[in-house]
Amino acid sequence: MSENSSNHESDPQGHDSHEHEHHGGLVTYLVVFGGLIVLTILSFWIGNSDLKNQSPVAAWAGMMAVSCGKAMLVILFFMHLKWEANWKYVLTIPAMMMSIFLVLMLVPDVGMRTLWYSEERIIHAAESALHPEGHGGEHSEDHDHSEDTAH
Amino acid sequence: MTDGDGHHDDHGHGHIQLEYQPALPLNNGKLCMWLFLSTEIMFFAALIGTYIVIRFGAPSWPTPQEMHLSEPVGAFNTFVLICSSVTVVLALEAAKMGHASRARMFIIVTFLLGSLFLGVKAYEYRSKFSHGIYPQLPRSLMYEKPDVYYAAAVHKSLQTAQEELTSQVQALEADGQEVPANMQQRLSTVTALTTGLARWTEEEAAFGNTEAIVQLASIVNPVHGQGPQETPLRAEKEAMETRQKDLEAQQKELLAEQTALQQKVADETATEEDATRLQKVAAELLVIPEQISLASSRVKALDFLLNPGASGELMGLNERFSKDEKTGEKLARPWLILPIMIPGANMWAATYFLMTGFHAVHVLVGLIIFAVAIPMTLDKTRANFLENSGLYWHFVDLVWIFLFPLLYLF
Repeated sequence: MSENSSNHESDPQGHDSHEHEHHGGLVTYLVVFGGLIVLTILSFWIGNSDLKNQSPVAAWAGMMAVSCGKAMLVILFFMHLKWEANWKYVLTIPAMMMSIFLVLMLVPDVGMRTLWYSEERIIHAAESALHPEGHGGEHSEDHDHSEDTAH
Repeated sequence: MTDGDGHHDDHGHGHIQLEYQPALPLNNGKLCMWLFLSTEIMFFAALIGTYIVIRFGAPSWPTPQEMHLSEPVGAFNTFVLICSSVTVVLALEAAKMGHASRARMFIIVTFLLGSLFLGVKAYEYRSKFSHGIYPQLPRSLMYEKPDVYYAAAVHKSLQTAQEELTSQVQALEADGQEVPANMQQRLSTVTALTTGLARWTEEEAAFGNTEAIVQLASIVNPVHGQGPQETPLRAEKEAMETRQKDLEAQQKELLAEQTALQQKVADETATEEDATRLQKVAAELLVIPEQISLASSRVKALDFLLNPGASGELMGLNERFSKDEKTGEKLARPWLILPIMIPGANMWAATYFLMTGFHAVHVLVGLIIFAVAIPMTLDKTRANFLENSGLYWHFVDLVWIFLFPLLYLF
């Protein structure tokens, strides 16, 4: 008996989270909604700003950061993960790690394939005759972006 | 789950008391939904991650504008999905408090917003298809490089259009009906372009002028925002007109020489030299008419290209064919779409249709779930069901949160 009740106390989130009624609420959801709208406008603004021409990498990183912020808002508040017990880590973190690994494993042989192209392969690559400049600078960005989107 | 209390009554049997507790403090439905969602995370991460890796590893990638992807339309769809996420969460709140009718109202709104999203998506897909944007040749009209295959494809579509128009005109004439003026105009345009643009470019390329194909590509559809350029086209037109005149003068001279030589032959005063000269003149006279007709159709084609559109600027051919000749209004069905040259466009289309297509299928499944929920009494007993379908719907929204900037803004 005593062991049982102590067990119960040591796992407060477990049973308490079932009866939580104080989380959420209309005001919270409307604030989150407003946040999502503001962040959408922000990423739209970044995508159409001069930053995208001057430093596309910074613009892409910014937009992905905004997307991650929006994703966190949806996951934490709309999907109630903020108020859930520790099982949330068990179910979400391994999946995200698998996703990140999967993308990272694609980088060497798909993402960097044009670095090892033979001259003949380059000739047949889908490149415009008007703009023969290389895109070598973008390869280093693969890692950042793949991690950002793995949620 | 466990109602452990009842088992603790000591019945005196003295055997070991076993405690059964759920493995995780959540109900089975929610656990299954979260397990499913964690596989979905990996599924979409694979699609999105592959897209990112392919896109940044590609030697060339088209801009959203080149692929007729409208940023405001995408932003509107994002807004629609965010709204539907809020309504589904409000439906759950209402169901938890026992307000079944309010919960149903929110679910109906969610269903309508989801349908609106799919409707906008369908509209976007249609605008891709109408521009010949498909993932793969030959359905797709997109060519990766300005090479002879591209020039041949343009030639072939112009020829096909010419044959179709000719047979239509002939059918009308055979019936004794009047041929509409715009059909006549289209036929003459296509005829001029088939020879003066497509065949001309092919001949130029055959003699080593590959720049002509790049020019052809930008005449059909702006390449990197660069459409047909007025100054070089005008200069070429003047040069072509001079060449046509020269050729005609040359033809006249040769004809005169031929008559004189033939006269000599008839008079039997012709030397052997005259006879070989006559043969040479005849051979040149055989070639010259074709050269003249090629030059004159080049002039006609350049004339058409130099004719500014309603905006006063030169337009790409595809844009021009998708507008009404008189009013300048956009046609719902363009009367001709020529192959376009956009490097990386087929890979773009493959990733675009794969990602948005899978996302749209998920939206469709969500709509089916909500359609099932609408007739139910959505009170406290249905809260778990609503929570799980809501989790699914939020995940669909989550995927779009990443797809929108990646596809529309990058």
